[in-house]
Amino acid sequence: CPERRLRSQVSAALKEGRVTPTELCQRCLALIRSTKFLNAYITVAEETALKQAEESEERYKRGQPLGILDGIPIAVKDNFNTAGIETTCASNMLKGYISPYNATVVQKLLDHGAVLLGKTNLDEFAMGSGSTDGVFGPVRNPWSYSKQYKEKFVPKSHSEDEESNWVITGGSSGGSAAAVSSFTCFAALGSDTGGSTRNPAAHCGVVGLKPTYGLISRHGLIPLVNSMDVPGILTRCVDDAAVLLGSLAGHDPKDSTTIQDDFKPFELPNLADVSKLSIGIPKEYHAPGLSSEILALWLKAADLFKNAGAKVVEVSLPHTRYSIVCYHVLCTAEVASNMARFDGLEYGHRSDRKDSTESMYAATRREGFNDVVRGRILSGNYFLLKQNYEKYFVKAQKVRRLIADDFVKVFRSGVDVLLTPTTLSDAAPYMEFIQEDNRTRSAQDDILTQAANMAGLPAINVPTALSERGLPVGLQFIGRSFQEKQLLTVAKWFEKQVQFPVIQLEEVKRHDNGVFQHQKSASFS
Amino acid sequence: AGYQITQQRVPIAVDGSLSYSLCIDNKMSQMVTKTVRIKQIQLEQDSGKSLHDDTRCQTLVDLNRAGVGLMEVVMEPDMCCGEEAAAAVRELQLILQTLGSSQAVMAEGQLRVDANVSVHHPGEPYGVRTEVKNINSIRFLAKAVDYEIQRQIEELENGGTILNETRAFDSKLGCTVPMRDKEGKQDYRFMPEPNLPPLILYDAKSLPANMNHQQVINIDWIQERLPDLPSMKREKLVEQYGILPEHSFTLLNEDGLAEFFESVVKQTQMKPKKVIGWILNDLLSYLKQRSLTVKESPVSSFLLADLLNLLEKKEISSTAAKQVLAELWKGEGKTPLEIVKEQKLQLLQDQKELEQICQAVIDGQENEVIMMVLG
Repeated sequence: CPERRLRSQVSAALKEGRVTPTELCQRCLALIRSTKFLNAYITVAEETALKQAEESEERYKRGQPLGILDGIPIAVKDNFNTAGIETTCASNMLKGYISPYNATVVQKLLDHGAVLLGKTNLDEFAMGSGSTDGVFGPVRNPWSYSKQYKEKFVPKSHSEDEESNWVITGGSSGGSAAAVSSFTCFAALGSDTGGSTRNPAAHCGVVGLKPTYGLISRHGLIPLVNSMDVPGILTRCVDDAAVLLGSLAGHDPKDSTTIQDDFKPFELPNLADVSKLSIGIPKEYHAPGLSSEILALWLKAADLFKNAGAKVVEVSLPHTRYSIVCYHVLCTAEVASNMARFDGLEYGHRSDRKDSTESMYAATRREGFNDVVRGRILSGNYFLLKQNYEKYFVKAQKVRRLIADDFVKVFRSGVDVLLTPTTLSDAAPYMEFIQEDNRTRSAQDDILTQAANMAGLPAINVPTALSERGLPVGLQFIGRSFQEKQLLTVAKWFEKQVQFPVIQLEEVKRHDNGVFQHQKSASFS
Repeated sequence: AGYQITQQRVPIAVDGSLSYSLCIDNKMSQMVTKTVRIKQIQLEQDSGKSLHDDTRCQTLVDLNRAGVGLMEVVMEPDMCCGEEAAAAVRELQLILQTLGSSQAVMAEGQLRVDANVSVHHPGEPYGVRTEVKNINSIRFLAKAVDYEIQRQIEELENGGTILNETRAFDSKLGCTVPMRDKEGKQDYRFMPEPNLPPLILYDAKSLPANMNHQQVINIDWIQERLPDLPSMKREKLVEQYGILPEHSFTLLNEDGLAEFFESVVKQTQMKPKKVIGWILNDLLSYLKQRSLTVKESPVSSFLLADLLNLLEKKEISSTAAKQVLAELWKGEGKTPLEIVKEQKLQLLQDQKELEQICQAVIDGQENEVIMMVLG
C-alpha cells in the first residue's frame, strides 16, 4: 500500500524535498476543511500545526530531521491532554478546558517532530461504541461517502437518501479512525478500554492497534478504567503502526503501571514463510449476532493461513461469555471512582448553584455529564457499596482472573496468535444505531474486543475486505503479552495477502497531488 | 471511590513500640524509660479542607494540602496521664525530625494528634473512650488529656455516663467540649487503587537475586542508613562528654541546644561536665525567660566559650563570669575580655601584689586579727 506508508512514500518524499512539511500540513488542513461534514475533529489547531511544520522544515533543510515522524501530520483523540489546546472529552464538563501539560504520548510525538493537526471527536468520556454520544455530535464514517458504498446503496424507501443514511464510525475513537480513513492525517491516537480503537478501525477500514497494558504510558490520558485503558494507534497500514509504537512505548516514571524493562523499537520483517506459525481460532468468538458475511470472511482467513502452511487450530476460551458482564461491573466501578474528580472546583464546568458545596457538586455533575456517564457512575457506586462489594466487585475480579487464564492456557499450548472477527457486522446506519441505547449497543459491540482488555493483551484490527454494502470489515489478531513484534509481523503478512482496497473519496481525489497516489488493488473477497 | 487514597486493608507496619523518657519528679534528677505499643502505621493521602463562612454564606475549599502523603501512627492505650502522652509524642516528634520524615510542628498542622481517653477502676475493663481533637501543641496535649481524665472521673462519680463522642479542646478555656456531630457513618465505597501496583517490602534475606536495587525496597538497606535516633544521640552524649542522662535529655529536647553545647566544648578547655552547667542553668534559663530559641540567642557559642576560657584560666572568678554573661545578654557586641576590662573584673594574678593587699587589710584590722588568732 504505497500511498499509505510513511517510510516509502511520505517520509522519503520529505527527506528528498519533494514535498515540504508545510505543504503537507496545509494539504491536510485543507482536506480537514472540505471533510468537515464528517465531524471527525473537535478542535483543529491550525496555527500551532503550521508552526510545528515550519520548524520541521527548518530541520529538514539543515539535514537534521528528528526521525521518521518528523513533519508527519497526526491527530489525537480529545481525551488526551494537550498543552494549550482545548481538551474536552466531548463533554460539557470540560468544554473550554485547556490543559497545562501534554500527555506523555503526545509529548513523545511532538519530540519526534510530528505535527499535531487537532483533537478528534469521540463518545463522551470514551463511553460508547458508536462515537455518537458526544456533545459535539456524532462522527460520520467517511466510507458513507465513498464510491464503493454509494454504488451498493439501495434505498429501502423513497424518503431514504444517501445523505440521511450515513453510517457510524464505531467507537469510541471514531473521530481518530475517520481522520485516518479520510487521509486528513497519517496516524492518530485513540484509546482502547473495551475495544474503542479496534472497533472504529474495523468500521473505517484502518489498522487499529491496542498495545499490551503497561507498554505505553497513560499519563495524561483522561482515565476511564485505570486497569484496562491503553492509548491506541490508528494508521493506514501495519508498518506505520509499528513506527508509532516504536516512538511511544517504554517506561514512564509518571505512570507507575508501565513496565520497567527497556523497550527496543523494531522494524517488521517481511514474513515469507508462515509454516512455523500456529494460529488459534477461539470457538466462543462465533458469537450470537455475528453476521454470516463476517463469519465467512473469518473462515476464509483461516484457510488462507492453512493454505500458506501455517498450523491453524480451533481453541477454546471457555469464560468468554462472562466477560461482558464482568467488564461492566469493573468498568462502572472504576468510572465511579475516576469521575469523582469532576466536581467543578479546580477545573471544568461549575454550576451556578451556590447554596452548599454538595448542591454545587450535584448540579455541576448533572449539568456536565450526559446520561451515559451518569448511568455508569450510579452503577459503579452501587457495585462498590459495602454490602455489594464482595458479591459484585470481588467476584468480577475473580472472573477476570479466569478470563486472563484462558488466554494463558491457550498460548501455553503452542498457539502464537489468535484470529477472530473484530465486530459482529459492518457499520450500521446512524438512524438504525440510535434505536438502541448506549448500554445495549456497548454490550453488543464490545463482545469480541473487550476480553483482550481484561487480560491486558495486545490486539490489532486489520482491514480485510468490503462487505456486501461496500463497507469495510476487519479481522482481529490477539497476541501474547508484550509480543507486539510477533503480532504485527503476522498482521503485516495478512495485510499483504488481502490487499484491502483504498477508499475512493471525492474530496481526497481533489486534494491529491501525487502524494496520495491512487492505485487499483485487488480486493480480498 | 472518590479521591482520597488510604491504606485500608493492609497497613504498612504493625506491632511496634515507642520508648520515651519521663522525669519522676520535677527537678529533672531522675529519668525513667517507658514504652507505648504502636498498633499500626498506615499511609494515606491528605484531603483538602473546607472552611465555612457563615456570615457570607459561602464555603471556601483549600486544596493546598490535598494529595500530600500522611502517615497515621496508631498507639495502644498504654499511657496514663497527660505527662506521659506529651513525653511520648515529644519523642515521636524528635524521631520524625531526625529522620527527616516531617518537621512535625504541631502548630503548623504538620503533626496532628488526636487523644483517645478513657478511665476505669483498677482491675476492671477499660471504660468508654472519647476522642479529643483540636490539640495544637504538646503542652495543650498534656492539658487536654488531664482535663478529660478529670472530667470523666467527675462525671462517673456523680453517677453519669461517658458518651463515645468526639470532643474538641478549647485552649483558651482549658477544657474539652463536644464537637459538631459528623453525619452518620458514611459508606466510602472503597476500591483498590489500580494506579498503585502492590508495594512489596523485602529484607536482605528475601530479596531476590538480580533485582535492580533501585526498583525495590529493602528494609535492611534502609535500616543501615538510618541516622542516629534521639535515644542513640543521648547515649552518645553521655558517653562522650560524661554528662548525666537528664542533661542529655534536656540538650536534645531543646532545638539546637545539643549542637550549641558541642560547639562550646570544642572551643574551650573547660571540662564538658562543667560546661553543661553553664548551658543548662545559665544559658537555657536566660533563653526561657525571654522566650528565645537557641538560634535567636544573642550570646553565640563562640562568645560563651571565650568567657568560659577566661574562667578556666582563672583570669576571672565565677561570680565575675556571671556578671559578664549578664552584660553579654545585652547583645551590644562587646567581647567578654572587653567587658572584664571595662568593669575591672580581672582577678589579680601577681602573688606579691596579692600579699601586699592581704597584708594591708590585716594591718588595718589589727584587733580583729588578734581576736581571730587567739580564738
